Amino acid sequence: MSQYAPAASSQVLRALFERVADGVAAQAQPGELLAATLDAESSEFIRFNHARIRQAGRVERAVLRLRLVADTRQATLALTLPGTDAGVDALRAAMRPAMARMRSAIADSEPDPLLDVSREARVAVDDLSSPPFDREAFVDTVVAAAGDADLVGFAAAGPFGRGFCSSVGSRLWHARDGVSFDFSIHLAPDASAGGARKALKAGWTGDASDLAGLHRAVAAARHEAMLLARPVMRLEPGDHRVLLAPRALADLLEMLAWGGFSARSHRTGGSPLARLQRGEASLSPMLTLAEDMEAGFAPPFQSDGYARPRRTVLVEGGRFADWLVSPRTAREFGLASNAASEAEVPESLRVSPGTLPAADGLARLGTGLALGNLWYLNFSDRPACRVTGMSRFASFWVEGGEVVAPVEAMRFDDSLYRALGEHLEALTVESARLPNTDTYEGRGHGGIEAPGALLSSLRFTL
Amino acid sequence: MRGRRVGATLTHLATIVVVTDLADVLPQDALPDAPSPGAMVTVRQVAEGSQRLTVRRSIVQPIEQQLDAGAMVTVWRRHGVGYCATADTSAAGLRQAAGQADHWARVAERHGIFGDLDLHAVLAGMAAPATGHAPAAVEAPMPPRAELIEMLRVECEAMRIDSRIVDRVARLVVTERRQHLWIDGRLQGAQASHVVEPNLEATATDGARSQSRSLGGQYNGFCQQGGFDVVERSGLLGGGRRIAEEALQLLAAPECPSGTMDVLLMPDQMMLQIHESIGHPLELDRILGDERNFAGTSFVTPDMFGHYRYGSPLLNVSFDPHVEHELASYVADDDGEAASRTWLIRDGVLLRPLGGALSRARAAAVGHPLEGNASSRSVGWHRPTLDRMANLNIEPADASFAEMVASTQRGVLMRTNVSWSIDDARNKFQFGCEWGQLIEDGRLTTVVRNPGYRGVSATFWRSLAMVGDAPTLRVLGTPFCGKGEPGQVIRVGHASPACLFRGVEVFGGEA
Repeated sequence: MSQYAPAASSQVLRALFERVADGVAAQAQPGELLAATLDAESSEFIRFNHARIRQAGRVERAVLRLRLVADTRQATLALTLPGTDAGVDALRAAMRPAMARMRSAIADSEPDPLLDVSREARVAVDDLSSPPFDREAFVDTVVAAAGDADLVGFAAAGPFGRGFCSSVGSRLWHARDGVSFDFSIHLAPDASAGGARKALKAGWTGDASDLAGLHRAVAAARHEAMLLARPVMRLEPGDHRVLLAPRALADLLEMLAWGGFSARSHRTGGSPLARLQRGEASLSPMLTLAEDMEAGFAPPFQSDGYARPRRTVLVEGGRFADWLVSPRTAREFGLASNAASEAEVPESLRVSPGTLPAADGLARLGTGLALGNLWYLNFSDRPACRVTGMSRFASFWVEGGEVVAPVEAMRFDDSLYRALGEHLEALTVESARLPNTDTYEGRGHGGIEAPGALLSSLRFTL
Repeated sequence: MRGRRVGATLTHLATIVVVTDLADVLPQDALPDAPSPGAMVTVRQVAEGSQRLTVRRSIVQPIEQQLDAGAMVTVWRRHGVGYCATADTSAAGLRQAAGQADHWARVAERHGIFGDLDLHAVLAGMAAPATGHAPAAVEAPMPPRAELIEMLRVECEAMRIDSRIVDRVARLVVTERRQHLWIDGRLQGAQASHVVEPNLEATATDGARSQSRSLGGQYNGFCQQGGFDVVERSGLLGGGRRIAEEALQLLAAPECPSGTMDVLLMPDQMMLQIHESIGHPLELDRILGDERNFAGTSFVTPDMFGHYRYGSPLLNVSFDPHVEHELASYVADDDGEAASRTWLIRDGVLLRPLGGALSRARAAAVGHPLEGNASSRSVGWHRPTLDRMANLNIEPADASFAEMVASTQRGVLMRTNVSWSIDDARNKFQFGCEWGQLIEDGRLTTVVRNPGYRGVSATFWRSLAMVGDAPTLRVLGTPFCGKGEPGQVIRVGHASPACLFRGVEVFGGEA
């Protein structure tokens, strides 16, 4: 077996950030302010299908999002840096033409009345490292633990970090390391139910050296998947009692977060929570939602360089509490900023837990559906906060508090004002930490902490 | 220039807004040798630059630019493959990447899914080098940036017609991409593309209700390759007032009725219908199970090709990488296979999947020797290739728009997708549109808001009753097709005529 260099450590990424920050300070000319956000990763990615490697590789990527401010004008440019270990000269050579392009853009721009960037010189580092990732040991463990199970999954390992720096001296760095393994166990399609597919979703995040923990997680999922061996049941559309696992509740709230908590979205007619804010609709008194930086999912700063408040309560006891307000939105609509991200989407959402012990969940459900995950959600009527989506992976029909059979994928279409309002019966005592495993724009920061939820009714349509 | 019409003044069509001069083509001596005996190496270099110009609520937003360049180095051992993506494209950087990829290829050879499949034979099967430009990308002239901003400002102002219009956005995104592919040091493909995405969007609210209307969908349904001609075809010039008026019209409109009735889907909804319930289910890697943990599987199984009735005999679907201006027109796919037009569905019968060379070889190895197409694609240098849609089109037939309306006793015409959801096997779907209009006794009547419909892919296409003629066809697409682990968002094209479906479950919003 040939040797290879382990993925860069989080210290390597931080060293890159420091060189970038030096470069940012050097590039700004008198009268200019240069700010930048760096997203850097040294990632190992492994896809599995049928418990074998489908695709595996490494991605070394560092994207610097520059913002040049000259008086009241500004322009931005996202620049891919020439490597995660790029030296001072290489960085300077890459940034020079980018600066020229931004100065040219500023010449074509107008004064920006919404311009707002931190002019403080803050320095903070939050850097969690992990032992190096061992490719062979990880793959060997997954393959051995999966055995003859049809495991499909995706692992991401190695450090990834985000930093903010500016020519006035700000240097803020947040990095994480470790392994996330998002996987599912699939059973043969059910011939007695028209070839209905049966699968169970699971996940493991941990230290690269905790291979025993990884093995246990895969083995536990295989064991749980045995419940799927029963014949699939086809359910008729209609209203059903539902027990949502924490992941399923998080799926609903992530949909709601698409414009739901944004002050800009509200002011421009797009928030599904406008009726809540006006007091024309309410959610359950059991529901309290907060953007809580102490959950530790996301960097404690945002892309304008401002520190995030420790906690911003968005919904308290079912009533509207606050919007997420970015500095730019605050200027546009005369609001007070709470240093929300530019997108005004929660990055570290925490749902306050309830009083139902998770172990009692099926008994309290009685007869109804137990849903582990929801899938492909979208608004079907945004002002009414009506959301449609599918059940996916392990979904079970329950009678008398006992699992009867897995259920074919069902479509729901209901207002969250009902589902998480009058129909919310209980939240569980226990919450799950669900870190963001999104990789579209690079490995995602952020996450959600949520309990399970018992609904007296959810409307299924197909 | 504020306030004047600028459409006629955009005369300086020689300046290309985005010039991707950020990366030189890799010199031959920078390409890495095989890192170990018995390995083959491919290097895919991609450089992409873009500019995003936006005027929102009369405020010119900061100009956003992007410059992205790097290389994907893939090492193919005979039975295992590994990759390493790096933006360090020096000879040393690429050599180091090849070493990383080689190690993964060795691990994959031991634990990989390919078994005894000869991956070198897959690479050797690539045809002669395919180089050139996408059909519309040779010349892509655009006016100077300042004139484009002024154009957007004029349209944004044109949307300011009523205090109930609370959001007005005019936007233009221009992207230039160049890429090169070498297989074992031999240039296999070189191509360029120039993409333009114009859009207008207005939102009207009366406090209780809110309605949005856009040019081609709020997620850029109108996007093509080309230069300023794309803007001219899009309807952006002079379109601002119409968009705002239609948002107000929707605000005052009654809810779309519920019930079983006919739907006449216009091309800017057909593109989504094609995408979700034909395109994704026909991706061969999904059918082979690769996406079951994330994007999902497919109700289509390998044994269906050649005989399965996917839709009514009126349904003809092509994979066509050579349609001028369509978003995903290209010369070769990202594995280097030369691209050509193929039929996926002919006269309603399923013929072939969307499957690149590697997936076809995998399918053949398990007893399904399927024909496919050059559809192995990647979003950029930092992601490996997957089976993807490219240009996936419904061919026009002979029904005029007037004939389709006249043949409908009770139905709804729907335009412009706004909501989409489908199950992980791409079967049970529910879609919503911005704009609806009732069809009663063969005539278009009342405009309705929140029109939606739901169905099941496996049966929906069999209810296709009339397919529009060429005058109803529009060349559209989306820049936002998501798939893969790690995730990738890619550009795909969809050209379609208007189509009429019988007996569909239709619904509106909450009263």
